[in-house]
Amino acid sequence: MLTPSARAVLDSLLPSGGPLGPSLLEAGFEEFYKDFERNAVPSLRMGFKAALWAAFWISPLLIRRLPPLTRLEPEARELALEAMGRSRLYLLRQMLLLLKAVSCFCYGADGRVREALSFPKS
Amino acid sequence: MILSGEKLERPLEEVFDYVVVGSGAAGATAARILADTGRSLAVLEEGPAVDSREFSDLAYPSFKRLLRGMGCQTARGGGFMPVLQGRCLGGSTVVNSAIVWRLPEEVLADWSSEYGLGKALPPKELNENWDTIERELSVAPTPPEAWGEFNRLMDKARSTMRVSAGPTIRNVRGCRASARCLTGCPYGAKQSMAVSYLPYAEKKGAALVTGARVERVLWDGERAAGVAGSLEGPGRNFRVYARKAVILAASAIQTPGILRRSGLANPHLGEHFQAHPGCALIGIFDHEVGMWSGATQGYEADHHRSLGRFKVETISLPPELVLARFPGAGKRWAQSMAEATQAAIWAVQLRAWAEGSVRERLFGANIRFAPCPRDMVNLRRALRFTAEMLFAAGARAVLPGIYGLPERLLPGEASMLEAAPEDPSCYAMILSHLFGTARMSPRPAEGVVGPDFCVHGAERLYVIDSSVFPTNTGVNPQHPIMGIAMLAARRLAEGP
Repeated sequence: MLTPSARAVLDSLLPSGGPLGPSLLEAGFEEFYKDFERNAVPSLRMGFKAALWAAFWISPLLIRRLPPLTRLEPEARELALEAMGRSRLYLLRQMLLLLKAVSCFCYGADGRVREALSFPKS
Repeated sequence: MILSGEKLERPLEEVFDYVVVGSGAAGATAARILADTGRSLAVLEEGPAVDSREFSDLAYPSFKRLLRGMGCQTARGGGFMPVLQGRCLGGSTVVNSAIVWRLPEEVLADWSSEYGLGKALPPKELNENWDTIERELSVAPTPPEAWGEFNRLMDKARSTMRVSAGPTIRNVRGCRASARCLTGCPYGAKQSMAVSYLPYAEKKGAALVTGARVERVLWDGERAAGVAGSLEGPGRNFRVYARKAVILAASAIQTPGILRRSGLANPHLGEHFQAHPGCALIGIFDHEVGMWSGATQGYEADHHRSLGRFKVETISLPPELVLARFPGAGKRWAQSMAEATQAAIWAVQLRAWAEGSVRERLFGANIRFAPCPRDMVNLRRALRFTAEMLFAAGARAVLPGIYGLPERLLPGEASMLEAAPEDPSCYAMILSHLFGTARMSPRPAEGVVGPDFCVHGAERLYVIDSSVFPTNTGVNPQHPIMGIAMLAARRLAEGP
């Protein structure tokens, strides 16, 4: 079950209105996450949770704003997450990459996204 | 007969003539040869047996089922580098791109002169084995009708730049160009071990045991008498005894762990770990590239393979992996992802000089590896060359994905890649092709395994996978592994 803070991070990471169609949450990440919590390897699960925590509490500091992420307006939230990817700290960069990678396990599997990418139907 | 360890209700205890640990390129090739002897044989595989028709085109369920640690096993040292290994019947041959290269002559010559392996690995015998394998597994260059646009673009770069490149030679029979090698070929076209040598051995009477994790070798004095381990199912554990030989073919990550847990103390065990770090660039073109239609890795450039120590390969990744590589977060990420339809991914495969180590820890292997400064010089040259090829093919931008460089390089800016940071952690690298952790040497003080593939100081315990390679190969290792495993198995079969 996603916590409200996790939902806030993920909704900022991949919001609706993009050219591929749905947002991450609209693509069914909540459902995906149930399976992920049960079956993903422990290191990946823990890493993902740590990355969510860092995105929520640390990323605002990178754009000189006070945490948590939900204090920020939507545009600033995205800037804060982007700042993780540009951070001098390797671990923060990796955490954003991990958030994106796990999100894409769900997002890239969505039928609407695949159709927008012209992925051949099996 | 396939015995599913996931379903066995009682502990398994059996006796065979040969026990092979691992069902990938090495183990399956040994099984194919030993099955012809008429003696009894068991192949033990930690992962499940997955039928070709069950392969999904979705990355998450595929990785969960087919890859070790869902593809999240990492090497640490130069940042976190995923170490990709198959964990299913057929091993990594199920999830690789079926690329076939014989061991280059200069590598074999080096192994002979520097490591004293000339007699152990005679080129004539190896070439005969490769002839056999190529015949049996339908090895051929990727035909143009299976290229698809993303492979064709590298052909365009080849002709523009006049470099040595060509269609990848692969072990495939009737490729459907579905770009699904990495999640398992659903058509059974890729001649992985799961659809070729393992069924052959099974027909000849071999027992294939899945869901069986080997923990250690059982000893009778200095003689290997069998192996013990755990089953995934309610049977919980097994002991399988070998009258003639225990043959380890569990990979350069798992084999040293089994030997160490079996009480073997050799200073070279788990050391000298080598790999081929991989690093990819995304080229963005003005037209639709259609990365998901064509042979997964149907074209490659070997122009700098020998002197530059790198190869460049086209690759089609599942959408899940491609999208994560696009830059940004939020709306900007969503916008950039849409360019995936016009993207081609070309990856550098580097023959690194660096050595790392593989040790044991509580949950799995502790893999340490960091490319050395010489490797980083070669990597940056390789990336520049790759970007130049992408631009020569018509790319309007290249996304390097390297910390410290702009998100997007434009034509004329490929040289910036040679000025990229030296720190390996600035790059998104993966490790594939793993070698050297139980290396072969005629001298016990310099290696773990002798020229007869038998572990120094042990009897009837053999290692035949790429652990025994004294160095990396600079080419995709499936074929070298199979040729050498065939050599080892033939010698065992001819023995008493």
